[in-house]
Amino acid sequence: MFQQIIALLIILFFLVRLFWQRKNKQVSRTEFFFWLIFWFLVALVIIFIKKIDILVAGLGFSATGIDVLLYLSVAALFYLIFRLRLKLEKIDREITKIVREIAVKK
Amino acid sequence: MNIDTKIFCIIPSYNEQDKIKRTIRDVKKIIKNIVVIDDGSSDETYKKAKETGVIVLKHIINRGQGAALQTGNKFAYDNGAEAAVHFDADGQFAANEIPRLLKPLLNNECDVSLGSRFICGAPKMPWTKKYILFPIARLVNYVLLGIKLTDPQSGFRALNRKAMESIMIEQDGSAHCSEILYKSNINRLRIKEVPMTVIYNEYGQSLFRGKGRKKGGIQIIKDLLLAKIMQ
Repeated sequence: MFQQIIALLIILFFLVRLFWQRKNKQVSRTEFFFWLIFWFLVALVIIFIKKIDILVAGLGFSATGIDVLLYLSVAALFYLIFRLRLKLEKIDREITKIVREIAVKK
Repeated sequence: MNIDTKIFCIIPSYNEQDKIKRTIRDVKKIIKNIVVIDDGSSDETYKKAKETGVIVLKHIINRGQGAALQTGNKFAYDNGAEAAVHFDADGQFAANEIPRLLKPLLNNECDVSLGSRFICGAPKMPWTKKYILFPIARLVNYVLLGIKLTDPQSGFRALNRKAMESIMIEQDGSAHCSEILYKSNINRLRIKEVPMTVIYNEYGQSLFRGKGRKKGGIQIIKDLLLAKIMQ
């Protein structure tokens, strides 16, 4: 129970920060809603963690609900890093194009 | 051999202040149109190349050998080149072998002429390249790109106008060698290998590192895999 309260307080901190960033127009509307839904879902998971334990056990996992969520988040992080790598590669190519145009035009 | 005025020699260079003048002087005896691309050197490469009177283009930041070659290709193509020769600035290639490289191209026997270190038997080269780097490179070229050639990483090549038009080099680093082979293949360009000699120096490429950006065997494999995913 105590751990759940701490986790919810952390989420609250991120939510306040998110609203503050939106107010100062530091995040776009789409980004704002993405993170709002994300933190809302995380809060739901924390509140209903016991039910998730039962669900996970029912699915045949030997680990607890929080462990399975941790595995899933590592997989999600790997995917996001991969997406970031692709985006960086595209930016890299755009930089080369700009450098080339400058070289040829000078 | 009469080297046509519409043939350009493209020399990408990165921190080659000690060798660039000599390389240009050697190439000048064979080809009149020389385009040096200073790839963001931090030394006096640009100045030294300029002093020779050839065309020098400058990348404001270092982008890699492949990027510099594409800049040269673009410049040559836009200026009506009928063919372009790619030549290293570090003095590893022999300028007197350019006519032999161009011969099949000018005789319309091929669209891309590649210098190969392996046609005339086993060349003298570092054992790591001979027994590790090149066998891996041949395997990668075959598996990822479906290409079988004696020299998987030759930087000494000539392209006719059709090839210059079809091949847009997108690999900024050393993976451009494999990319050129791949694009030649998918564009159904005729490839021919001709014998060449290479004088190895201390700055050569190894499995893990090389001079300049995006060099080294591992980096090449990473770049090729990423390009395959991005397709």
